[in-house]
Amino acid sequence: MSWRNELLAVWAVTLRNALMGARNVFFFFELLFWPIVGVLSIGLMSRFLELTAAQASFVLVGTIALSVVNVCQLEVAYAVLLDVWSKSLKHQFLAPIGIRHLTLGSWIVGMVRSLAVFVLLAALGRWAFGFRVLQPGWLALATFLLGCFLTAWVVGVAVCALITLFGNRAEAFAWASVNMVLVLAGIYYPISVLPDSIAVLARAVPLTYFLDAYRAHYGFESEFRAPIATGLALSAFYAALAHWAFLAAIRRARRTGLLLKMSE
Amino acid sequence: MLAIDAHDVEKTFRSGWLHRRETAALRGVSLTVARGAIVGVLGPNGAGKTTLLSILATLLTPDRGRVTVLGHDVVREAGALRRRLNMVSGRPSFLWSLRVGEIVAFYGRLYGLSGRALRRRVDALIELCELEPYRRAPYSDLSTGLKQRVALAKSLVNEPELLFLDEPTLGLDPDIAARVRAHIARLRREQGITIVLTTHYMREADELCDEIAFIKAGRILARGTSGELKRQIRLGEVVALKLDPPRVPWLADSPGTLRCVEVDGWVECTVDDAEKRLPELLRALHADGVVIRNVQVREPELEEVFVELAK
Ligand SMILES: Nc1ncnc2c1ncn2[C@@H]1O[C@H](COP(=O)(O)OP(=O)(O)OP(=O)(O)O)[C@@H](O)[C@H]1O
Ligand SMILES: [Mg+2]
Repeated sequence: MSWRNELLAVWAVTLRNALMGARNVFFFFELLFWPIVGVLSIGLMSRFLELTAAQASFVLVGTIALSVVNVCQLEVAYAVLLDVWSKSLKHQFLAPIGIRHLTLGSWIVGMVRSLAVFVLLAALGRWAFGFRVLQPGWLALATFLLGCFLTAWVVGVAVCALITLFGNRAEAFAWASVNMVLVLAGIYYPISVLPDSIAVLARAVPLTYFLDAYRAHYGFESEFRAPIATGLALSAFYAALAHWAFLAAIRRARRTGLLLKMSE
Repeated sequence: MLAIDAHDVEKTFRSGWLHRRETAALRGVSLTVARGAIVGVLGPNGAGKTTLLSILATLLTPDRGRVTVLGHDVVREAGALRRRLNMVSGRPSFLWSLRVGEIVAFYGRLYGLSGRALRRRVDALIELCELEPYRRAPYSDLSTGLKQRVALAKSLVNEPELLFLDEPTLGLDPDIAARVRAHIARLRREQGITIVLTTHYMREADELCDEIAFIKAGRILARGTSGELKRQIRLGEVVALKLDPPRVPWLADSPGTLRCVEVDGWVECTVDDAEKRLPELLRALHADGVVIRNVQVREPELEEVFVELAK
């Protein structure tokens, strides 16, 4: 397969997801409502609890990261969910398309959407609570966002794999199980407050490291030696694992007939 | 030159986590289809038609058997094969908010089309499938017939050499179904596309297909042209009579008569040889004082072959 065809297939999926997203007002609601509620309630709570500016930044970074990851992973999961909902999965896999095109194309749309959410939340945080996302500098911010996007990719592809493995009834289960992992990443607290056995799990989540590195710029001492390198390595490992799992799930669906069943 | 060469294909579906259920959908199916032919796969519900088409189209992997389509092994060379075939299924479905033109273009890109070539192909298909007025309509707003035509347009976007049609006229009203049939016949005539179709409408099979394979419970029971099948099943010919009084009890027992049924005020007698039996029947009826208001002689329909085989 040529590079041109590879890019074209990714572009086709990007365009498809973007068009679907742009035409659904409820998607927009989904996109904005919970992130705004999150930032406002966390910001107000930190005011009520009389947290220091640094502490308030700590929890706001967490809630913004959670929103960015959520919006982006949802879009990545649309790689198969749109087809599952519209029962067009079999048309999709009749065409010469690989899961890499589906997930990459959706990821691109997810990054654009979650970047928009990020800008909005950052502005809201600045205006309402005097929280400055750019205080750590552009490079630190870019690395932090990349970490969020990579985590979202892994989570989204894992959801795709679970849905193609267990069928669309497993949707809720798929989301619950992967979101469990996110909660472990220390969104609202440093992982040093977790009991040892759970901290081990938190150390296996890439987002933990990206949060840690970014928060270091707000005066919280880093808990790890090379957080960014570790985060990137872990992300690469999980991305490969999730991709392989999704690939195996599709192969299995072709064998068991689930691919046909989900199109009826 | 064969487009499809399938040998002893078996497929069993296993489902249920606690209570395992097994359905043997195909039990050793062999089928060959020549390039440029239109072959119909007929059979009752659950016979395995969709399963067979899905295996040939790489959507399902067979448990056993060797399947070569357009010279590619369907399992090992599925990727290369997918570029050369396409499929339409009876209940098409695409993303609900995409517009007709966008759907065709989306699939076109997956097959490597872009820029002017893509635009030209989309325009041509929209014209071919008479979708021009609906080009900007969201898919969810279309009627069943229009959705079917979108599916047909999409299935031609890669100029396939082989096309699978799974109940292509399901749920369409008669004149739209006739138009779809005309499209199918033209595709073969003008572009030489090999077509394998399943249908529950015998007239459709009779009209379109060079050959018919009859499948039941996962096995191919008979194969041939519609005429060959009719002869093979030896259904005889039908003498339909409109009589006064309408019922004549002894008709069913007259010599050479295989069976008699009443349909819409007609008495339909299936006889071994109409040319020989018709004069005898008419004479006997006349002698009995029965008034004969109308007589028709015809070949059995494919439908009757179907009913006979499905028994
Ligand atoms: N994905 C699947 N999972 C489990 N069982 C299946 C699946 N697809 C088909 N079957 C079973 O396999 C058998 C053959 O089904 P198939 O859909 O091939 O029949 P068909 O000839 O197309 O019937 P119809 O005329 O109703 O479309 C049926 O008993 C069906 O229940
Ligand atoms: Mg079927």
